[in-house]
Amino acid sequence: MDGEIRLEELCKKFEDFVAVDGIDIDMPPGEFFTLLGPSGCGKTTTLRMIAGFERPTSGRILLDGNDVARVPPHQRNVNTVFQSYALFPHLDVSKNVAFGLKYHKLSKEERAKRVGEALELVSMTEFARRKADQLSGGQQQRIALARALVLRPRVLLLDEPLGALDAQLRKNLQVELKALQAELGITFIFVTHDQGEALTMSDRIAVMNRGRVEQAASPKAIYEEPETVFVADFLGVSNLLGATAVGQDGGACTVQIGDRTLRAQQGATDARGEVKVMIRPERIAVEPHSNTGEDRMPGMVERSVFLGGAYEVHVRVLGGELLKAMVPNDGGTGVGALEPGAAVSLHLPPDALRVLTTGEPAEEAADGEADEWAVKESNLQP
Amino acid sequence: MSRLRNPWGQPRFLALITGGYIVWAVLPVLIAIMFAFNDGRSRTTWQGFSTRWFTGETGSVMHDPALRDALGHTLLLAVICVAVATPLGVALAIGLQRWRGRGSGTVNTLMLLPLVTPEIVMGVALLLLFLNLFGGIGLGTDAQAIGQITFTISYVVVIVRGRLVSIGPEFEEAAADLGAPRRDQFFRVLLPLLAPAIIASAAVAFATSIDDFVVTQYLSSDASTTTVSMLLYSSARGAPTPALNAIATVNLVITLLTLVFAYLVYRRFAGRDEATSLATMEV
Repeated sequence: MDGEIRLEELCKKFEDFVAVDGIDIDMPPGEFFTLLGPSGCGKTTTLRMIAGFERPTSGRILLDGNDVARVPPHQRNVNTVFQSYALFPHLDVSKNVAFGLKYHKLSKEERAKRVGEALELVSMTEFARRKADQLSGGQQQRIALARALVLRPRVLLLDEPLGALDAQLRKNLQVELKALQAELGITFIFVTHDQGEALTMSDRIAVMNRGRVEQAASPKAIYEEPETVFVADFLGVSNLLGATAVGQDGGACTVQIGDRTLRAQQGATDARGEVKVMIRPERIAVEPHSNTGEDRMPGMVERSVFLGGAYEVHVRVLGGELLKAMVPNDGGTGVGALEPGAAVSLHLPPDALRVLTTGEPAEEAADGEADEWAVKESNLQP
Repeated sequence: MSRLRNPWGQPRFLALITGGYIVWAVLPVLIAIMFAFNDGRSRTTWQGFSTRWFTGETGSVMHDPALRDALGHTLLLAVICVAVATPLGVALAIGLQRWRGRGSGTVNTLMLLPLVTPEIVMGVALLLLFLNLFGGIGLGTDAQAIGQITFTISYVVVIVRGRLVSIGPEFEEAAADLGAPRRDQFFRVLLPLLAPAIIASAAVAFATSIDDFVVTQYLSSDASTTTVSMLLYSSARGAPTPALNAIATVNLVITLLTLVFAYLVYRRFAGRDEATSLATMEV
């Protein structure tokens, strides 16, 4: 199948700022591939280099094996859906969609047919004669999509195409976009800073930070098996604890947190010394304080945040760190409804504890430690 | 307490100042226009309504050779000025907009210089230039046209660049992305989007050229290169007739119509606020 993109040691410097710092990514054909990261991480610059709007400082962009890094944008068989849609305001919808067909050798009838099909694909047939500024944001988004897809590109690039839409519309379009991609089998390269969006839609995600790829894997792997502190922190809610890895216990790494010793079976279990230990809130079990023993930490409920379907219980453990535990809402009788001050025991199963080496991004780790809670809440809602 | 002002009332004092200013500014012009329609030879005593100074057999704008030629020369200069300054200014604006790097800031400032240079300085400078350096061109129509183009280009650049900034680079990128080569990115996308600004700047260039006196005067040669404003200046102290008022009125009407046209075109495409700033810049 066509539509494979490979980035090899791709670099982009703007005067004294390195936007993309030598990345290698494989984007297999027909996949929904997402570049995810905070603003300024280089994801949009990467996309713009694939589209041809930015010239790489060094490195290669292979489209189905051919290096296109020096090919001007109008000669690349990739198309873009812009964040602001960039529909031509002086043309109506059907002329917008037909714009690029001029450069394909097509008869007039064939051209009209393709435009009709593209508009049908995005359910916008009845808007063909409207001007772009007479459309709502969601409608403009669909036309931008039709305008790109009508050219049957091998790769479709999407630069935060849902960014300007309200939450409900966003959700619907996420599902539609994913379904469309599956139906067409075109490689989609999607740029977003919204981790929820990335997890929902992607076949594969590359998490970017400071011009580098932190991890590229399936959404499940990114969420369940983050390889770096940054990834663990950026996706979802993570409890990140400073710890000392002291030894090996079977397949698990024994880590010391304060005066407690826990076992962690995930991640870099052979690491020693200063590490971070990470666990997702939904993997922590809140138990009565009488449950002591292995893999448990005593603590005190600081508050319980009602989230509808669940409670997020904040527990201050001995040693001062704050952990967040997700407790399903069982009607108000369970641990979720615990008063602040209640003593509890937290069960941290070894198979849910992950050892992360703090590695070279030293500032990142320092940030984490400076943060009193060592926990960052991201905007993923349960 | 009854003298306490009503805070929700109209600001009467400000309204008075505004009204007073408008009368002060417009009344002389209206009076001048009124005497263009005077039946007698006086420019101060009303002797009844007539259009003899516009179309009459003798001494009218239409039939007096001096007046007619001045009007013709004014319009000729204006047309040359628009025809040259507009495309040149558009090209300059696009070039400056795209030019990122060393020197671009300096050139951007230099582009605005003709707008703030006192016209008399510009006029003297150009005169010396044509007398001493470019003697081949000499004074007269060519020199006048070049002189006017020199500073009207600045207006074109300012207007077109404003529009370029609000258009942004994205539409051209979208066109490139859809397969359009450079040429088509310009002709199929950028030019149509710039059209209102181009038309508006052409109108401003036209009006500026018609109104210009200092530069045009300095670079003139003989009587055949006299424009309306020069004529008005030289005969105001001679033996003026209401024909001068008439030709001034024609001049004024042409300028006003051009600017109203520019305003309407621009507003139609680019929105009211930008259009207002455009109109106030010139008038």
